[in-house]
Amino acid sequence: MDQSHIRNFSIIAHIDHGKSTLADRILQITGAVSDRDMRAQILDSMDLERERGITIKAQAVRVMYTADDGETYQINLIDTPGHVDFSYEVSRSLAACEGALLVVDASQGIEAQTLANAYLAIEGDLELVPVLNKIDLPAADPDLHARALADLIGDDPENVLRISAKTGQGVKEVLEAIVTRMPPPRGNPDAPTRALVFDSVYDQYRGVVAFVRVMDGYLTGGTKLRAMATASDFDAEEVGVMSPVMTPIARLSAGESGYIVTGLKSLHELRVGDTITMAAAPATEALPGYREAKPMVFCGLFPVDSDDYPGLRDALEKLSLNDASLVWEPETSQALGFGFRCGFLGLLHMDIIRERLEREYDLNLITTTPNVQYEVTTTTGEVVAVRSPVDLPSPNHIEQIEEPYVRCTVLVPQDHVGAVMGLCQDRRGNFVTMTPIENRQQVVYDMPLAEIVLDFYDQLKSRTRGYASLDYEMIEGRVGALVKLDILLAGEPVDALSMIVHRDSAFARGKGLVERLKATIPRQMFEVPVQAAIGGKIIARETVKAKRKDVLAKCYGGDISRKRKLLEKQKDGKKRMKHVGNVEVPQEAFLAVLQLDENSQ
Amino acid sequence: MMLSDPDGVAHLYVHLPFCASRCGYCAFVVEVGQEHQRDAYLDALLMELERERAVLGPLDTVYLGGGTPSLMGADRLAKLLAAIGPLLAPGAEVSMEANPETVDEALLDAIVNGGVTRLSLGVQSSRPHLLGVLDRRATPDDAARAVALARAAGIGALSVDLILAVPGQSPDDLAADLEWVSAAAPDHVSWYELEFKEGSAIARGNLTPPDEDMATDLYLAAVDGLEAAGYRWYELANFARPGAECRHSLAYWAASDYLGIGVGAVSTIAPRRWRNAPGIDRYMAALAAGDAPSRTHEELDADTRRRERWMLGTRVDSDLDVAWAGPPDRPAALEMLEAEGLIETGPGTVRLTRRGRLLQNAVVQQLMDFA
Repeated sequence: MDQSHIRNFSIIAHIDHGKSTLADRILQITGAVSDRDMRAQILDSMDLERERGITIKAQAVRVMYTADDGETYQINLIDTPGHVDFSYEVSRSLAACEGALLVVDASQGIEAQTLANAYLAIEGDLELVPVLNKIDLPAADPDLHARALADLIGDDPENVLRISAKTGQGVKEVLEAIVTRMPPPRGNPDAPTRALVFDSVYDQYRGVVAFVRVMDGYLTGGTKLRAMATASDFDAEEVGVMSPVMTPIARLSAGESGYIVTGLKSLHELRVGDTITMAAAPATEALPGYREAKPMVFCGLFPVDSDDYPGLRDALEKLSLNDASLVWEPETSQALGFGFRCGFLGLLHMDIIRERLEREYDLNLITTTPNVQYEVTTTTGEVVAVRSPVDLPSPNHIEQIEEPYVRCTVLVPQDHVGAVMGLCQDRRGNFVTMTPIENRQQVVYDMPLAEIVLDFYDQLKSRTRGYASLDYEMIEGRVGALVKLDILLAGEPVDALSMIVHRDSAFARGKGLVERLKATIPRQMFEVPVQAAIGGKIIARETVKAKRKDVLAKCYGGDISRKRKLLEKQKDGKKRMKHVGNVEVPQEAFLAVLQLDENSQ
Repeated sequence: MMLSDPDGVAHLYVHLPFCASRCGYCAFVVEVGQEHQRDAYLDALLMELERERAVLGPLDTVYLGGGTPSLMGADRLAKLLAAIGPLLAPGAEVSMEANPETVDEALLDAIVNGGVTRLSLGVQSSRPHLLGVLDRRATPDDAARAVALARAAGIGALSVDLILAVPGQSPDDLAADLEWVSAAAPDHVSWYELEFKEGSAIARGNLTPPDEDMATDLYLAAVDGLEAAGYRWYELANFARPGAECRHSLAYWAASDYLGIGVGAVSTIAPRRWRNAPGIDRYMAALAAGDAPSRTHEELDADTRRRERWMLGTRVDSDLDVAWAGPPDRPAALEMLEAEGLIETGPGTVRLTRRGRLLQNAVVQQLMDFA
């Protein structure tokens, strides 16, 4: 199709602000999905995503729309993931578009992530169409939020569309705005082919399916293609578009979006952000902006039942087929046995993977405290990447430790600014700016990522009664006064409970942790000292008292089998305990670390 | 495989399920408000005894438990005892349970004449407010009266049942129970820690049991008090003046064979254990039709028997003979437990220390692989 009749756009919206409903409504109005086939929220394909109300994997859907000017347009809706962990994926999706709908809930207003993604879109020269959704809600305040939205993108409040995706009110106007306000693509159809991969999925029958936006040239099925960054060559087994199901077509031309079935066996061979070109007539220069997804958060995953170790490995292998950003390597813990050190894009990514492992693969897992990657310079001048507290060199070999910092943006109503600033200060944040946006404040801090991965988000939500929203981006590594905090049970260090903390908070954390462990570890036959130590120096101690009484009350002829079964049941319970030396430690103890801050307040 | 005693089973349990009401802590097979069924039940019981008597040798011990056996009334008890009498070995122990408020002279005369040598009174507490928590019908006065009547009737040995770790029980309450015991001067005391058994009313309610430290303190106070009064702590929950130990219970703890008759009763005749189904109507109907009552069976393999012997044999204060019980699953634990002061070992014997006895469950778990 002639590029002047093509529009590629994304929807930028906070979780629950109605992106999926609007997308569904657009499919319905343009006839891409009949009313009968209408399945709520077509774009969110995984159950897990639907439950959490977020979209992990982006997809592209093509609809045809006949506008008020009488012309028919090809409109490609490129979906974006909705969470901070996937900001790189968001940036690639936006790079495939000329415009974006900036959708904001008329009762809630702009949230931090919307803000962050809107800035990404502005930097990418996208034409933003502001949309206030849910104007039918009684709590909607369209005038206030229209002003804020207009301010944000430097537009007139009059230009903010007011719609209800739920009822369909104003959605037609959204389609008109896409056609009239957003520019068409301006690729060179005659130049060597360059197509941007903005998403990819692995299908067990068809291999890797890449979602692409053709920038220059064209793609046809049956040609030999090349992914420029990974230098893998493959056959385009099929090209097509989602409308909204996979529909093969002869050709994807400059300006269009669609999919390529590659037959590649792993997502590692074809990464998001890469440029696809023709192997026979390759482009000389790849499209800008490619980078490898880098894991930011690490934790140990251990099967509760050690027999599940091979099952866990198989499950991780299967999940990585469809998730190039998940990295993992075997790890052995004295306390927890054999498991894996896994790296994730962020905390949500970690939660999703862990939940999928437990739910889809029926595994029961222990997760150790999440941590970030530290760059440790040793006294010999060597720089070591440390992804687990266990790997931290001993203090006398450390010259310095650098930790990743993020710039953290919190949008919060004025009333809760104090709580947010208090929390950020507690977590070693450095104040950057504070800017009012209508009735709220945009508070910006630079913070160690390590402080965010523990429970920052939960704390932020609870201290602001849910009103604050958070976004953050990586900025740089900074040197910090960091130490390894060890936990000893009955004098034995428990590797899985070690953590790297700032020296100033080590005492409070150690104290909080031993208190919590004391409450979690049941009385044993012997007294169990629970100690926190830094470099061999004990900084906190609690004692789990010895059990005094553990006896089955009465036992006569009618009770013998019942008592025996009780002992058998107790034994089963003990099997789920982890043995650290002579001490039986319940799984909850390993999670005690995560609740540290609640306790130390 | 351990085979049954060639001389025949020497221990008989008879279940008499009738109760005037169900107590809050009770999860036993009992029948409330079914007294009109007593004659028919007694007939069924005697039929079951007749069916099974071939396995019996001369009976060394008999135990009439419940329910509330005394609720059967003097005549029926006399009839039952008359049927059992010919099966007894010389010097046999015949125990019966009774609730204090159901005891009178006629009943006591009937059972003493019928051969009962040992009466166990369900006193449970001397404190009215705790009797209320336990839903017991007897008052402290009923208990004292029952003791006096039993003594007057010339019962051979008198035992009382008490319960500790009742929600709301203070150390003073326990001291009062000890005083009550001193005054009543029974030959034997069973003092049980209250169990929050699934199925009992107390487990469904909102009462909280005392915490571990409080329960331990009460338990130890009971042990110390009774020992000071001349009772021997011969089993975890049982205390006796010298020679007044319950031989029937000792048979259970020695993992001996026993026959149990009556609704819900359990029998163990190695290598088999079975339990009669609950529900007196079905029980009586089956026997009236000439059939065995409905039962669930359990095969006891050698490992199960060995683990049960450890579980039972470490309850009593005498040495456990390892050659008799069979080796522990984890012999290395013996040394560790001894080092911790929980057990004492001799040549081929194991016994629990005082501290070990309160941790009997944990000790057995260390030694044996249940499940």
